[in-house]
Amino acid sequence: MELSFSNLFVGYLDYLTGNFALGIYLLAVTDERAVLRRLKKFLPLFLFPIIEILLVIGMYSVPELRRFQYYILSFIILLMCTFWARWAWQFGFWQALAATCMAGIFQVCESTLSRVLIWENTLDESTPFAVVMLLYLGISMAAVLLLYRLQFGRWFRLLLDSKSAVRRTAFLLFALEVVMEMLLRMVFGVKPQFLGFYYVVVAVMVIMTAMLMVYLAQRFDAARKMQAQQDVIAQQRLYEQDLEAIRREVRTFRHDYKNLLAGLAQQAGEGELEGLCHTLSELDAGFDQRLGKKIQASTQIGNLQIPEVRSLLLSKLTAMREKGVECRLEVLYPVTAVDMDVWDFVRCLGILTDNAWEAALDLEEPWVEIVLLAQEGRVFLRVSNSYTNTIEPGNMWNDGWSTKGTGRGLGLSSYQRILEGYPNTSHGTSWENGVFVQELTVEGRL
Amino acid sequence: MIEIYLCDDEDAVRHQIQKALEWKIFVENYDMKVVQSAASARELLDAVENGRRGIYFLDVELKDEKWDGFRLGCELRRRDPHGTLVYITSYGDLAWRTFQYHLEAFDYIVKGPEPIGPAAAQCLEEIHARLLEEHQDPAEMFTLRIGEMVRHVPMRDILFFETASAPHHVFLHTSGSRMDFLGSLKELETQLGDSFIRTHRAYLVAADKIEAVDLKHNKLWAGGRECLISRAGKAKLRKKLGGDR
Repeated sequence: MELSFSNLFVGYLDYLTGNFALGIYLLAVTDERAVLRRLKKFLPLFLFPIIEILLVIGMYSVPELRRFQYYILSFIILLMCTFWARWAWQFGFWQALAATCMAGIFQVCESTLSRVLIWENTLDESTPFAVVMLLYLGISMAAVLLLYRLQFGRWFRLLLDSKSAVRRTAFLLFALEVVMEMLLRMVFGVKPQFLGFYYVVVAVMVIMTAMLMVYLAQRFDAARKMQAQQDVIAQQRLYEQDLEAIRREVRTFRHDYKNLLAGLAQQAGEGELEGLCHTLSELDAGFDQRLGKKIQASTQIGNLQIPEVRSLLLSKLTAMREKGVECRLEVLYPVTAVDMDVWDFVRCLGILTDNAWEAALDLEEPWVEIVLLAQEGRVFLRVSNSYTNTIEPGNMWNDGWSTKGTGRGLGLSSYQRILEGYPNTSHGTSWENGVFVQELTVEGRL
Repeated sequence: MIEIYLCDDEDAVRHQIQKALEWKIFVENYDMKVVQSAASARELLDAVENGRRGIYFLDVELKDEKWDGFRLGCELRRRDPHGTLVYITSYGDLAWRTFQYHLEAFDYIVKGPEPIGPAAAQCLEEIHARLLEEHQDPAEMFTLRIGEMVRHVPMRDILFFETASAPHHVFLHTSGSRMDFLGSLKELETQLGDSFIRTHRAYLVAADKIEAVDLKHNKLWAGGRECLISRAGKAKLRKKLGGDR
């Protein structure tokens, strides 16, 4: 191989195209909605080809490695892209690996299938490299649009975001990616008359892979929903126990009430006005203290008419009660629907309540207040808590910020990331006089 | 004169409150008057005019299909954004926070075994005290709309505006909060005038809140938070800060 400048440049562009195609596929695979913002993180991709070319030159000097050169290089590229995806998407390693392998499979498949064009004599050696490059990226773009259209990313994202399935998925996809790479290399050994079959096999394989992923995601989703339903049932039982406790209280109260009334009648008969007033206010206070609070709590929970949301809040309320956090929940009107994916809303709510009570725990008398208000299709959420730590407004929304030390505060940034996908939401944060407040408004799309 | 409106469908309670308020006004010689004592929301709404800064005593548990205390409060807020709302309730377990945050309700009084009059009079005294100390001119407030809800932020608290990552959304930063609302920096720039400088495509900074400027790294700090400066922003900053000196 000749090491001329133009050769190097073409090599650079070649690798660059590959990396970019992989990057674009990553967008589709992860169901990215804030595409423009993510594109800014594509800059390091311009650097990768240089490393790759240096590697190629390095490996040429070791003759034993030449046979495996392609695989070693592919593996290193895959690793580099994985770490890049980890950085650009703020993924964990396994998430990044799974996503990169999936994108890699699509990209390798495209590389393989684009040979059809050479086979059909559409392209040959004389075609300018720029045209080939643009054509290649154009095909990637079209494929990505198709993937978005088919909502492949939405399903795949489910697998990525699950804690249990992501490692398995990563291994599976890595194996499939290796197979795809081998298939790509095999094209050089296929006799021309079988090339047609070969391309069909590759296409079928990648479609099957994609369908397998969607199938796995759907199964995972079904299992998760099942689990959630069981949780809902369990929480419902707790709720019923609460109601049962209220019923018992009412019975004992009725008993006391009769006694008090008898006392009142006597006092009235004897004309003791002062004593009468005293007993009356005792009665009123007694009711509020013993039953009022419980009734308040159960009506508020009863107004939460989205099972997923109710179940989440019930479990958070129980957790808070166990930790000794005073919690007040207000749901004035029935909440029947939120104009965003229910699971996304539940995730947001979970993040906000977890942050709130964890921060509140630093105080001697921790409290958290949750207000949900539904009005004409709009849902308003406000979570507030007491806090003592110093707030760093400059860093609060960055990844990993937390008053508890680094690595804990992934919450707020993923909260923001979820909301970016919903233009009908507005969120506000304030921290004044020892009260930290998070507000979220979800507008109804009429 | 400040107008006081009353709405409660229990006649006895309403009369008690009205009497107590009128007596209080007479004794303390407040510049106030109970102009309407309504038994239903409809009756009250017919009497309320737009834009007056009134005081409203409203029953939470109105027996009306369409109007409960909260909805009535929303409507009154719409007509009279700076009025004072006080709620009357028979339950101590009212969803009070909701009323406080959404309607900026001032206080609530509980109907109990004791006469409600003194509580209402006490409440009126507190309102009077607050109105006296409140000299904030509405013109010095920045109004932002989040859905139906209207928020008033004192102009002097605003550090800067920043474009949010979601399209058409803007963040408003104060020393103790960050709020997201629908808007554009361009409109805000013309609306707010000279006291704010557009230092960057994505930043509109209050001139008097700028603490430090680092022209080398194209950054400035307002309220301890970092903002960016563009080339055009630099020129504007020089002109503004240079002109002030």
